[in-house]
Amino acid sequence: MNEPGYSPWKKFQEHWLSRRSLIRGAAGTALGAGLFRPKLAHADEDGDSERAACVGPNPIPGGVKGLTPFGIFIHHNPLNPAKALADINDPSQITDFDGFVGLTHIRGGGTGTDTGTGATTPLAFQADMGFSQGKFIGTDGQQHRGTFAFV
Amino acid sequence: MYTGPVGSASLPQQIHDYNVHVDRNDVFWMIPVRHDAVEVDFNGARASLRVHDLSAFDDHDLANSLTQGLGLPNPPIVAGIPAIPGVPPVRAKVSFDVEWNGALAMAPIENSSQNFKGSFLSTGATIRWSAEQAGFRFDSDAPPDPNANLISVLGRERNGVFFS
Repeated sequence: MNEPGYSPWKKFQEHWLSRRSLIRGAAGTALGAGLFRPKLAHADEDGDSERAACVGPNPIPGGVKGLTPFGIFIHHNPLNPAKALADINDPSQITDFDGFVGLTHIRGGGTGTDTGTGATTPLAFQADMGFSQGKFIGTDGQQHRGTFAFV
Repeated sequence: MYTGPVGSASLPQQIHDYNVHVDRNDVFWMIPVRHDAVEVDFNGARASLRVHDLSAFDDHDLANSLTQGLGLPNPPIVAGIPAIPGVPPVRAKVSFDVEWNGALAMAPIENSSQNFKGSFLSTGATIRWSAEQAGFRFDSDAPPDPNANLISVLGRERNGVFFS
């Protein structure tokens, strides 16, 4: 039985927040935690990458609530096709940043293949992707240069 | 990725959601890549992002991505937002070639409430990408459709401590 005034939504939020805290607090030790946190490493790593980029950046302070009623805040400002370019919010996900940014909100089609049977299915996609390249103040408080993909 | 025709993008239709997850510092879906993965010719309104076999996650759908695999409650507790079963993430590899090309509009922006400023271009864009995981592979149509772009932006910007 729910306590008076204890909404299922609040319960969900608390569940989510407690799980999120658990994952964050026990990252690297709890089963499954590794699946939720990316390695801070380079794609296509071949040894000539900029080592400085392996120091993480900090997120922009702003952003939006994803799944709005649930109040899950994300440090990202999605592009809105209905908004004039001059009115966009900061397209960077990284704060203390000086450089180039690119964002795209794009869709299209393709083919999904069950690699076990070879059966194919037409599928649609919508992608929000981008990049940041330039200098930033990292989590160590020092200035670095780096290139990041938004995936 | 959605079942249904191109343009389908409703949550209940989503069957794959590839991203690199939020990092330990709450940076959203960003991952370091090689410097040469990105090429920018800002004055020419061109840029590209090319990455091959990037380790990512398939969270199945955006709800599971944002709730870290919890999904959304059943029965639905918010009108208009469906229940989504919880699905744990699956490791995947993604490759993509995104190109920004051709200025459609340009604007200088100085936003003191968000502490960012710079020069920004609205551009055309195309994407060609693929994903692979246990039992499944996806390949986007080739050549990519230049009309698939909803909105794309290139910017040369400063924010945070570099704003002032």
